[in-house]
Amino acid sequence: MSYYDIDSILTDAQKLPCTFELDVPGLGVLEGNPGENIKAGTRIDLPLWLGEMLSIGARLGTSRLVTLDIPSALSERVMNALKADPRTVDLRALAPNYYRLSERVLELFEEEEMVDILSNTFKKRAAEIADHAHNPKGALGDGVEFLRGLDETERQLFRVAHDSAKDTRIWAGEAKKR
Amino acid sequence: MVFPFPRGITPPEISFLAEMEMVTIVPRQRLEGLELLGGPVEPLIPPRRTSVPLWLASLLKRQRRANILPPPWLHPESLSLILDIETQHADYQHAFSPPPPLPGQPKLRDRGTQKPTARPRYTPESQRYYPTPPFLPQNVAQDQAYEDGGEPPTLPFHWLEVGTMLLDVASDDVVEPDQTRRLLKELREVRSAKIRAGVEVLDDAAVAGGGVTLTGVGAMEIGEGRGFIGGVVDGLRRIGASKEQARREQLAEAANGGYDATQDDYDEMEF
Amino acid sequence: MDIDDILASVDRSDVSSPESTALDHQLITRFWVAERSVPELLPWPARLMDRMMERVRQQIEAIEDLAAASSDPSTAIFSDKPPNASTSTLKLSILQTDLSRTQYLLRSLLRQRLSKLTKHSMHYLLSTTSTPPTPPPPSQTPSSRTNQMQPEDSIPFPDDPPPRTCPLSPAEISYLHTHQTLLARHFGSSFLSSFPPQLRRLDDNAGGTSMLQGPDAKEAVFVRCLAEEVPIVAPPGDGVDEEVMGGTMRMGDVWVVRWEGIKKAWEKGDVEVL
Repeated sequence: MSYYDIDSILTDAQKLPCTFELDVPGLGVLEGNPGENIKAGTRIDLPLWLGEMLSIGARLGTSRLVTLDIPSALSERVMNALKADPRTVDLRALAPNYYRLSERVLELFEEEEMVDILSNTFKKRAAEIADHAHNPKGALGDGVEFLRGLDETERQLFRVAHDSAKDTRIWAGEAKKR
Repeated sequence: MVFPFPRGITPPEISFLAEMEMVTIVPRQRLEGLELLGGPVEPLIPPRRTSVPLWLASLLKRQRRANILPPPWLHPESLSLILDIETQHADYQHAFSPPPPLPGQPKLRDRGTQKPTARPRYTPESQRYYPTPPFLPQNVAQDQAYEDGGEPPTLPFHWLEVGTMLLDVASDDVVEPDQTRRLLKELREVRSAKIRAGVEVLDDAAVAGGGVTLTGVGAMEIGEGRGFIGGVVDGLRRIGASKEQARREQLAEAANGGYDATQDDYDEMEF
Repeated sequence: MDIDDILASVDRSDVSSPESTALDHQLITRFWVAERSVPELLPWPARLMDRMMERVRQQIEAIEDLAAASSDPSTAIFSDKPPNASTSTLKLSILQTDLSRTQYLLRSLLRQRLSKLTKHSMHYLLSTTSTPPTPPPPSQTPSSRTNQMQPEDSIPFPDDPPPRTCPLSPAEISYLHTHQTLLARHFGSSFLSSFPPQLRRLDDNAGGTSMLQGPDAKEAVFVRCLAEEVPIVAPPGDGVDEEVMGGTMRMGDVWVVRWEGIKKAWEKGDVEVL
């Protein structure tokens, strides 16, 4: 986590499914019942920063308050869709900072296969991004939908690829400065 | 940020760098030798050929005080040959055509048998210094070039910039300028597609101790691909961060003997 | 150092010679490209910069003399060879172009360094001192001293002379310290002073996230291998305490690698950054 990085801060607020292992008096506010208690076995979506903190006992091997689950954005269903065709999945709808979220989740869960699927997804989509970014006429047809479904990391990648292609065309005299 | 400054030199700066390449001119007027901050310039005595930096050659050419002798690679015949290598040659389907050798590096066909010997100069601070483009004679005219012994033509590091600038200021000195211009454009497209397709192997640059070779790439091509390639490598590194430790332990194990496949792995990671 | 190296260093050319001018030009150009490309601030090349600045000064003088001579009609009368007006204009324009190119390069280099310095100002300020300021222990009861705590109290004060590992020039140190102090006072007067004293620091580490952000040495750079062979290293970290070797670059190769993987080779001059 980087102190001044907006994307990193936003990722910290993404929610993760958490299950309470113990009754907690007075924490009902998390469920929208202020003043009430939380019962063991309650499932609530909590922001990463909070869930991570509450689950810390798990990693220390002592009793823990909550157990974390993998968020739906990284569920098996999504992984299967990404394996089938990474280009057709709308990552932005799953999480605006999809890869940043994955990165954090992968710190918490050991999921080797997920690393491979996500790396492959990122590469395949990056190649597609590069092709769109190099098209001086901008995206057409299917491309529009694909570009709309880019997560924040991918958008930045598109921007940098597009800008450097444009700068090079300006240098070569093929495009005019804005 | 007080000074938002993009990382890596930009296309105009790459051009600026390419203007330091030496090219051959035939002066049309006399001029005494000059002591420049970039190094000495020999006296101009028509019609004796001499080498000057490209920026100076352009200045003289614009004022009709000299003609430029284009480098041998900037010729339709050479460019067609290189284009063939880039598109037809089995070894270069995913790689760039080989660049001119550095001083001390054996010719391409001798690399199997001869070892390179890097011969450094020394800086006043006693640091090793090996000259590289734009400070090698890769763009001077044929008979001044270091002996090529029938080697196939190669694209120098600043090929796109030097080619474009010479076509711009000295098209009347270039052989078949339109054909040359077309070939440069075609080369640029073929090679740009290779960079984009190369995303496939970029994982190898995202791990500790790893990397991906781009040998033969041009300066402007690096400039165009820098942000994208850097972004992909960075993204892959973040996604794979949890595997990094395992990877490092594997490297450490390899270093302690036994596993020796690492070296061969890297040789295959060409674009 | 082997015997060849010793001989070569004895044979070094005189610094005032034209060859040394050309060599320094190549060195500063290569340094500029590297500084523009790598994530972190490179060590200030003090002696090289001094020589460059001295030559720029001399060249400006030479150009002024030449300009004065060519516009002064008396020289045309008294010299035995009347100067060719067109030639001397050409000569002037070449000298001026060459000077402008060098000045552009030096300015771009300095601006890039300022950009890196201000982006990670606290990180680089810490490199200027061996005794960084320490925050008061949190258990301490609020005293009048901690109540007066201001953001600028967390700014390191540069050592004189700075530590040997400090990559900043003296001018950069003084700029950075002044810049960061002004910034901290501005933060203080605009919003930090309304925070509780213990939250006013700019080097806080609470909650496991440090406010001190440095450059990321793991970022990828483009390099060319200049020596016969150069290994790419994985520096200690991530549970492995020794440096380990990864791939091997060969002479003439261009690679995309992590900056940390070839930083030492760059320092030795065995690779160049593109």
